Amino acid sequence: MRIISIICVAILFLSSCTPSPQDVVKQDELPPIYPDYCDVTIPQNIAPLNFLLRADCEAIEVKAGEICLNARGNEAVFDMDEWKELLKQHTGETLDVTVTALINGQWKEYKTFNWQIAADKIDPYITYRLIEPDYEIWNNVQIQQRCVENFDISAIGHYEKLENRCMNCHTFANQDPNLSMMYVRGPGGGAILNKNGQLSKLNIPGSVYFGFSPSGRYITYSTQKIIPAFHSLASKRLEVYDAASNVFVADMQEHRVISSPLLSDSLKFETFPTFSPDGKYIYYCSADSVSLPQDIKQLQYKLVRISFNEKTGEIGNKVDTLFAGRSVCHPRVSPDGRFILFTVADYGTFPIWHPEADLQMINLQTGAIDTLTIVNSQKSDTYHSWSSNSRWFVFASKRDDGLYGKPYFCYIDKDGKAHKPFCLPQKYPTFYDNNLKSFNAPELGKGQVPFDVDDVAKAMKKDAIPFK
Amino acid sequence: MKTIAKYYPTIAIVLWGLCCFSFFQFCYPYHFFFQEQNQLFLWSWDYVAEYFNKTGGLALLIGDFLTQFYYFLYIGATILTICLLLIGVLLYHSLCKFRTSRWFALVLSLLVTTFLAVCHFSTSYRLSSTISVLGWMLVLWLIAMLYTKNKKRAILGLVCILLPSYLLFGLPQVKTIQKPDLILEKNFAVDCEYYFGNHEKVIKMVEGSDKWTDEMIFFYNLVQAQHGQLPDNLLKFTPTILGTFYQIGPDTPMLTIRNMNELYWALGDMTFTERAAMMTNVFSHNNRNVRMMKRLAECNFVSGDSLAAEKYLRILDKTLVYDKWADMVRKNGKSIYRQKIAMVNHHDTITISDNAHFLMMQLLDANPDNTTALDYILCSDLLLKDITNFKRDYDRYCMDTQKPRLKKLYQEALCIWLAGSDATQEEWQRYIQSNDVLQQFMQYNDQRGNPHFQGTYWYYFDKIKAPEI
Repeated sequence: MRIISIICVAILFLSSCTPSPQDVVKQDELPPIYPDYCDVTIPQNIAPLNFLLRADCEAIEVKAGEICLNARGNEAVFDMDEWKELLKQHTGETLDVTVTALINGQWKEYKTFNWQIAADKIDPYITYRLIEPDYEIWNNVQIQQRCVENFDISAIGHYEKLENRCMNCHTFANQDPNLSMMYVRGPGGGAILNKNGQLSKLNIPGSVYFGFSPSGRYITYSTQKIIPAFHSLASKRLEVYDAASNVFVADMQEHRVISSPLLSDSLKFETFPTFSPDGKYIYYCSADSVSLPQDIKQLQYKLVRISFNEKTGEIGNKVDTLFAGRSVCHPRVSPDGRFILFTVADYGTFPIWHPEADLQMINLQTGAIDTLTIVNSQKSDTYHSWSSNSRWFVFASKRDDGLYGKPYFCYIDKDGKAHKPFCLPQKYPTFYDNNLKSFNAPELGKGQVPFDVDDVAKAMKKDAIPFK
Repeated sequence: MKTIAKYYPTIAIVLWGLCCFSFFQFCYPYHFFFQEQNQLFLWSWDYVAEYFNKTGGLALLIGDFLTQFYYFLYIGATILTICLLLIGVLLYHSLCKFRTSRWFALVLSLLVTTFLAVCHFSTSYRLSSTISVLGWMLVLWLIAMLYTKNKKRAILGLVCILLPSYLLFGLPQVKTIQKPDLILEKNFAVDCEYYFGNHEKVIKMVEGSDKWTDEMIFFYNLVQAQHGQLPDNLLKFTPTILGTFYQIGPDTPMLTIRNMNELYWALGDMTFTERAAMMTNVFSHNNRNVRMMKRLAECNFVSGDSLAAEKYLRILDKTLVYDKWADMVRKNGKSIYRQKIAMVNHHDTITISDNAHFLMMQLLDANPDNTTALDYILCSDLLLKDITNFKRDYDRYCMDTQKPRLKKLYQEALCIWLAGSDATQEEWQRYIQSNDVLQQFMQYNDQRGNPHFQGTYWYYFDKIKAPEI
């Protein structure tokens, strides 16, 4: 009892000691907060945007709506309940946020910025792979699932349970947690298919990038012979290209592979296939083959599409080009079919290490191309995935340090206008500063996947279902 | 006599502690440096909180926290000895409380502490395991204290404390008994002295040793190269190791990757320096390595990627040992790394191989004044007895640039090429500037393979096996 009393007194003493602003000097600049949450649009169901001030400050005060947060040090960490209440009260509104900091004994009030709270919710879960940015070798790789409404994290692929194997992207069908697939590599590895929590192991020959058809019966996937290469210019680092790549369709019901000469042309590289939301087209990237690695800068992928009949499983016989000019990667159609989002880089097929890699969006109704200036940065912005309501997308951006990809969320309003993106909030604002892993291939999902690491480990022991 | 006997256990434990400290401090100190460099501990709440997501979080936290101080001389052996002594004392007192014989308690305590000390011979045995044992010994001692007062209370206490203790201390790692690896200690010694910048000490250590390992020779050559003396000392130890024939792959040992990082850094290739540093990190304790954090900050600073450099400097700011270093790099980096910055390759080419010969050619094409790369490329050619490529590289980077590198080793090698290609007198005069070499070459030709010429390139060329690649 005595100890509890002492602790209570100590807590009271400490909390009473948090200084509050006096003799405030106004600044004409935005606060140097990290992550950069100034003037961003956020969904009403996002976790608290905890941040830190990049300044040697003794105390901080943050005013946002009804919240007035006072803390020692430079970190602003919001109370979960107060935060939820704040977003509930101000959904659809723009909220002013004022940061005041005690620096060198002087309180400074920075220029007010705002948070626009969109009524459109974002899918509550993202999955991603955590891996060092150098992908040639791996150790302790994980695929995690994070609830973006709070800070809950669970592993769906963990090195400890999977013999320290390499694992690749986890992808949902229509953002549905009951239908998804991920790869576990190495001897005895395969594609782990999740159907309502029932996991099976598939042996889809050579599959790398893939996407589900709307019915979930088919996946379209690419096979590639991946070659890593190195730039002598240190800032360019790694280049990865395909010595060969083709696109196929796998029938998940009859376990057969469907091919077309148009999708496996030996004079072309075909990659990054994805179905349109109505299942009538396969969008993918195609490039004329060049001599590699010496002519890598001539390797230009176009955004193309070919028709597909989901009833018969037949691939069309005409390829349409939608975009050419810069090298295209990762096309993803919004679930409402209005937009196609893709990455453009100066050349090649591995935009992760291309600082110039940016996102662009085509309006499929008008053909207009949006260069998404407000979304892109000076570093690589790529690997995107849509929310089921087509109003949000997540992408991996290396804007902070050029090395470690972090998930950023961007809002597309009803007029198709993109808003300034924001970084996935973390419980501790110092998380990203201390983190040494990239958030690789983030994917949004409508719910929590109905399986865990142990289920994946069990599925790995099963015989793989072969594809003809 | 009885009074003196009372102190025997204390004397025995103190003597054991002295032996333990002396062994680790004077025979095994570089193992501590390796442990310290091969982890990263951040003084940051989110980092510390991570520990408590794992079983035995407190032991892991204390272990990693203390390991960071291994950086300081004497501290590694002191921390380890204190931990082991505490274990011994707690175990001894606990056993005495359970009314076992004092001698039995003493022998068992010393056996346990000796076993744990032996576990620390292995580089993969971490201090956190010893802390975990210490935690359990504390539990045992508490139970023993209760036991002396009330047996029922002791049992109840044990039941209550078992789960929290398991969560805090986990289960210690147990190692099979092994001998101290004194060869590895020698390797760590040259590696650490090189890392600390004590180049003269590296040379003394290697030259004063009666047996050499590949690692020792590698660092010896690395030091000599940076002092422009690689060709003068290349054949001092045979077989010699340059590191230029290694290639990094999924099965490459971590220490080799780390050595490659040092080689690339010395050569001035920042792409491969960063790659090897990242890879070393991947295979370090918890995928973090403070030495590589420093290197990543350095190489990004040199290549001009200030955002990336700042990422690592910010991490180092949160360490208790390297925060001042990070500050120094921010303030004085430009002058510290002036030479390296001047040597940075600004031309972009792409290669699918980490073939060092190709990398060095790129570096020399960009900066012919890069003497370290020049000596490494020429010496690599010579080690392989590849006189044709040696001549090609010598012409390209010494003759064509009108900066002939007049080293005895190169002159000797050029004699072989000139003699083998029936060169004209003019060519001989153009390449061979040393009359001594010329005269010696003529003498050697009369007595090929004579051990009297050991140390010359001619003798190496005729008698010593070239490395297989």
